[in-house]
Amino acid sequence: MIRKKHFIIGLWVVVAAAILAIYVFPYLYLVLTSFKTPNAVLSTPPTFFPESFTLENYKVIGTYDYLPRTFSNSLIIASISTFFTLLLAIPAAYGITRYNTRYGQVFLITTLIARMVPYISVAVPLFFIMRQFKLIDTYPAVVIGHMTVSLPFAIWLLSSFFEGIPVELEEAARIDGCTRLEALIKVIIPITLGGIGVTAIFSFLASWNDFLFSLMLTSTATKTAPLAIAEFNSQYGTIWGTMTSLATLFSLPVIFISFFLQKKLVAGATMGAVKG
Amino acid sequence: MKRSDLRFVIFLTIPAVIFILAFFAYPVILLVFNSFFDVSLLSLKERTFVGFDNYTSALTNAKTVSVFLQTMQYTFITLLSEFILGFIAALTFHAIGKKSEVLRTIFLFPLMVAPIVAGLLWKFMLLDNFGILNYFLKAIGVLHNPSELAWLSDTKLVMFSVALPDIWLTTCFVTMVIYTGLQNIPVELIEAAKIDGANAIKSFWNITLPLLRPVIAAVIILRGIDAARTFDAIYLMTGGGPMGKSEVLSLRIYLTMIRYGRFGDAAAMATLFLMLLLVLCLMAFYAIWKPGLSKR
Repeated sequence: MIRKKHFIIGLWVVVAAAILAIYVFPYLYLVLTSFKTPNAVLSTPPTFFPESFTLENYKVIGTYDYLPRTFSNSLIIASISTFFTLLLAIPAAYGITRYNTRYGQVFLITTLIARMVPYISVAVPLFFIMRQFKLIDTYPAVVIGHMTVSLPFAIWLLSSFFEGIPVELEEAARIDGCTRLEALIKVIIPITLGGIGVTAIFSFLASWNDFLFSLMLTSTATKTAPLAIAEFNSQYGTIWGTMTSLATLFSLPVIFISFFLQKKLVAGATMGAVKG
Repeated sequence: MKRSDLRFVIFLTIPAVIFILAFFAYPVILLVFNSFFDVSLLSLKERTFVGFDNYTSALTNAKTVSVFLQTMQYTFITLLSEFILGFIAALTFHAIGKKSEVLRTIFLFPLMVAPIVAGLLWKFMLLDNFGILNYFLKAIGVLHNPSELAWLSDTKLVMFSVALPDIWLTTCFVTMVIYTGLQNIPVELIEAAKIDGANAIKSFWNITLPLLRPVIAAVIILRGIDAARTFDAIYLMTGGGPMGKSEVLSLRIYLTMIRYGRFGDAAAMATLFLMLLLVLCLMAFYAIWKPGLSKR
């Protein structure tokens, strides 16, 4: 009986592994393609493995001087927007969860609604506002655009982390002579660092992966990497070799990060989901 | 509630409130406001009040209606596929138990991949004449000829093709949420049902599913919204073509504004889209979640 059970589980594992192989295949194909010679990228019939590994597609990237800039732009924009998202979201989420006020509840529901608005309905008027202030193609414009996505999410996610902290901790700090603000900075924030870290990663990736706001709010100086990747699709006819190598450079670090932090990311994603 | 408490809460939240008012609420209000004007793309100050003209021109446009239906179709395809696949995967992992950890880790790798990258790689696999998928389908005997299915240029097929990146990308998220829900169901309940003589299907239908209700509701609402406002992958894969057959609302609004320069129409459509999503969310929220009912 026990043997039979082991056999069935073993069978499940084999089936699941086979499905996984199919699931992972598309991404592997993208990465392998980026190492093919530019001529072998499109072949009939297509081959899965490169005949010879070459870095030619990656060398081609170096010949476009603006391309490294788009990656550093993405990094700068994602970092700044993450910093300001946390700066605004941490006190707000703490204020809402620590003190149960009607005002706080209204605010929390507002952030929930904000998460449901179609991005295009914010991006379109934001484009006009930014143009009026002559901010198109500047860092502040894109950063603000990305924050309209990450701030509501961060407030929501952080609230669920702060909820787990007993009020007594803050009260003890107050008795020891801290002001309310000091208690937040010296006691509450240090013990919530894990949750804040998760929120930071989500905010960073929301900005790093964004396409629509960058498309509306940047042109040349602050162009981000996703836009540069997409441009190879149209402007120059599709150059698949360069596109696949750019896409690999852009997404592989993200996949590595998610592998290392998976447990925390899953906790964050489910919390953000089920609470919402 | 002490008054000093309230003052402190306001102090803590005011920066976020100001941000949301200035860069979220104000733009949305501006959008609704502008939808009643004929706005020049060159300057916001040159506008003339036209009442509901933008709405009537947007709503009577046959194109808008078909794009709306296509958006529904896209949302339905992705939501249903992700839900079925995600549920099967979650049940499989649940059946395997602790041993599934490695498999789950691999399964989750697309969780944070950008939609634009997913769109790119699927476009590459579906390319007419060069796409590897058709050669694979021929190798396993489904197709006779690799050029039989034109994924991205067949008007009947294209909506399914552009849904593939999203299904590939987010099934893992659905799986994870449902898996967590399954793990949270007390084993005793299932065992008690077994003792009472319920078979696997019965206990799944009568115990597992009702207990998963809030989780399922959350998945449907969150994924439904995301699918309805999709943009990136379709923009990259087809740009809405062929003949607008893969256009969805977000893309249509973008094109109306940037390519055709009709800001009034774009604003009217974006306003309608916004209200539609909010109403649908509220309906789904009450219909599936039934906050009071789950406490039975």
